[in-house]
Amino acid sequence: MAMSMGAARRGKPKIRPPKRPTSETPIKDTWTKLANAIREIQNHNASSLSYEEHYRYGYNMVLHKHGDQLYNGVKALIVEYLDKLAEEKIIPTFPRSGGTRGAGKLGGGAEAIERALEGDRFLKAIKSAWEDHTGSMRKIRDILKYMDKGYSLANGLPLIYDVGLTLFLAHIIRSSKYPIHTHLISTLLSQVQLERDGETITRSTVRECTDILLRLNVPEREGGKTVYVMDFEPEFLKRSAEFYGLEAVDELEKGDAAQYLRRVERRLAEEADRTVHYLSTTTQPALQELLVANLLTPHLQTILDMPGSGLVVMVDSDRIADLRRLYTLFLKVPKDAGKTSLRAALRLDIEERGKNVNEGSSIEAGPSTIDQDDDQAEGTGKGKGKEKERERPKTTPANNALSSALKWVQDVLDLKDKFDTILDSAFMGDKQVQVSINEAFQSFINANPRAPEYLSLFIDENLKKGTKARSDTEIETALEKTIVLFRFLSDKDKFERYYKNHLARRLLYARSASDDSEKQMVTKLKMEMGFQFTQKLEGMFTDMRLSNESANTFRNYLNRHGAIPIDLNVNVLTASYWPQPIVATNTCTFPAALQPAMETFQRYYDSRHSGRRLTWQGNLGTADVKVRFKARSHDLNLSTHALVVLLLFENVKSGENLSYPDIKASTDLPDSDLVRTLQSLACAKFRVLTKIPKGRDVNPSDRFEFNENFTSPMARIKIMQVASKVENTKEREETQEMVDEERKHQIEACIVRIMKDRKTMSHNDLISEVAHQLSSRFSPSMSLIKKRIEGLIDREYLERTDDMGSYRYLA
Amino acid sequence: MSQEEDFVLLESSDGYTFVVSRKVAEASGTLKSMLDEEANFEEAKNKTCRIQQRGVILLKVIEYLAYKVQYAEFNAEDIKEDFSDRIDPYIALELLTAADFLEA
Repeated sequence: MAMSMGAARRGKPKIRPPKRPTSETPIKDTWTKLANAIREIQNHNASSLSYEEHYRYGYNMVLHKHGDQLYNGVKALIVEYLDKLAEEKIIPTFPRSGGTRGAGKLGGGAEAIERALEGDRFLKAIKSAWEDHTGSMRKIRDILKYMDKGYSLANGLPLIYDVGLTLFLAHIIRSSKYPIHTHLISTLLSQVQLERDGETITRSTVRECTDILLRLNVPEREGGKTVYVMDFEPEFLKRSAEFYGLEAVDELEKGDAAQYLRRVERRLAEEADRTVHYLSTTTQPALQELLVANLLTPHLQTILDMPGSGLVVMVDSDRIADLRRLYTLFLKVPKDAGKTSLRAALRLDIEERGKNVNEGSSIEAGPSTIDQDDDQAEGTGKGKGKEKERERPKTTPANNALSSALKWVQDVLDLKDKFDTILDSAFMGDKQVQVSINEAFQSFINANPRAPEYLSLFIDENLKKGTKARSDTEIETALEKTIVLFRFLSDKDKFERYYKNHLARRLLYARSASDDSEKQMVTKLKMEMGFQFTQKLEGMFTDMRLSNESANTFRNYLNRHGAIPIDLNVNVLTASYWPQPIVATNTCTFPAALQPAMETFQRYYDSRHSGRRLTWQGNLGTADVKVRFKARSHDLNLSTHALVVLLLFENVKSGENLSYPDIKASTDLPDSDLVRTLQSLACAKFRVLTKIPKGRDVNPSDRFEFNENFTSPMARIKIMQVASKVENTKEREETQEMVDEERKHQIEACIVRIMKDRKTMSHNDLISEVAHQLSSRFSPSMSLIKKRIEGLIDREYLERTDDMGSYRYLA
Repeated sequence: MSQEEDFVLLESSDGYTFVVSRKVAEASGTLKSMLDEEANFEEAKNKTCRIQQRGVILLKVIEYLAYKVQYAEFNAEDIKEDFSDRIDPYIALELLTAADFLEA
């Protein structure tokens, strides 16, 4: 009532002094009365007391400077009361067993229930003591309000209610007279333990007791934290750690990773629930950490490697839910250890699967020396759809090799799909996990030396017409996927080489299913690798387009300059765009029958383009020719080389034959081409020539005869040059050689480019820069780069500087 | 039953009784504790408080408590009426003691 002060100042002599708060009764009596009142309050008899009267007693005592007597007297009364509470209410309910047994199972059945009840009774006693005490303390606080205001606060002493709490801690919870403390903590722990073991406990009682512990603070000198934090939590965490340490071992012995993870998940949820419901949420982080530390962290590898149920099996059977659980739980492991080991395990797993895929394909590929025996099964021209299907079952080794190549790619794609699904649905598209998956794919794909070839074959298969009835979208998605695999390839230059080869065949044999798809693929490659990579591929398309156009003008030319004996269609290829083996100068003596036509075209071409040299390549052309056999005539469709060989027999009399050297001399074909051509004519399905002696392989000692007795139900027969789809060992070596050769140039060019820019550079910097710049095409080895540097030094592009270990560019 | 309709009886030492809304009475900390139904002291049970003050003082105290309740939710600057004007200087000191006792 602050305003009354103003009134007082204006005071006049007549102001009546306030009534002296004289105590009608001596202090001693006052105290006795008050003490009795407090006892009454503690005995729940407050309603018989006048508040006003006792408040006034306290008021008087404080005003008469007996605050300390009052304060200490009340304290003593409270202690007395608490001791009584302990003796009467708490001691009798002590659990028999003391509850101090260690962690682990507490025995089940009746005993457990008994223990739960005993514990509950004890905790209830504590709780009821607490409620009695706080109830009476509230009233005492009210009665002694004036003491708190006028004495406690003024003297820096704790308010009486807080004194009550402190005393409760000292005389009940941490009583030095009775072992309440031990019993309380161990009972709480055993209640928790009982629940962990699956018994039912009264959560509310535990909750109330932990609440008491949370309400009470230990004395300042001990840190002033709550009793819960000081006395209970450490013990609780220790017990929990012991329990879960044991449980982890027990459960892991059961040997089911998925089940184990489910259990861990359940435990985590249970403990979280526990902290919310009857412990303190402040315990939750520590407890969860502890669970992870005991259930997961030490066992990551065990879980992943668990035979029959670990990661491998989960992936095998696409158990997305289990994998997701695994991922989310592993994420909880600190320092990313969980994710790291998951990533490592995934890598191993994928690499293992990849190895199987790689092995699967190499076994089926079989001995590649007989790859050559392939032929018409693949090589047929138009209208081959049905024919081809018929021939499919007759699996030649080459077919095998092809199908294993396709199978390899398909397997890899399937694997990729599988892991993509897992990544998306189980690992939440985790970027780091994705990196590991990609690395694993990269590593096993590149572990297969034939990966670039297989990949290109797969694309070939998809872009070739008549293979399978596929819709555009199917092709589109297949190509899209192959691009993904393409990204994993480290030898992209090798892929380019194969792709060029396969593309060349598709274009020259007019086997491309759709120009659009072809161009799409090239565009995709361009997007991946840039303009340079696809420049030559695009050149090939241009050549084909120009050749088609020139076919028309050539026809007009013929109309004006007189016809030629045969129908000639020429594809003019720019040498630098096309793969080496196709445009390599092949010697071949064309028979006289063809010469006039060739000369005419030469004249026509020279008339249109000056300064260009035409080289005739017989190895990729086809010819239609009518051949008369004894039985009937057949239209044969064969390769230009085969035609050249066949025409030799035109003048050979029936019954006579030609030796291999004869044929070679007349045609001037290189051995490899000649052997293949003869094979396709004499050893394949349609044997228009007879080889003497018979057999599958062509040897220089063999002789050949025109097979007059050839019969076939079909009027039109396709005999294609043996053009094995999958390379044999020798061819592969050649390809590798060519690739290596090209790489040499690329490395040198790269070194020069860099050095031109930097002038001087240290050895290590140079090597790493070269490796980096070339990494998009292939990964050059250190030694290869070193050799090229040596080479450039020899040719005086570079020199070593005085301090060894760096180079200078010599302009 | 809302607080406004609940009334208590305050009795002065010289026999005056005042029927006061519980809300107003409980503006005094001491009276509030006294009437605390949970603690349930004799006064709370009977809803009657005997105050060891003269009626004239108790009247002024109740008047002030009503004033306090009325302006409880006002900002200090919005309160135009100054309660000190209503205090008779002759009872000021006695009133002060009562205020201290009653936590008004």
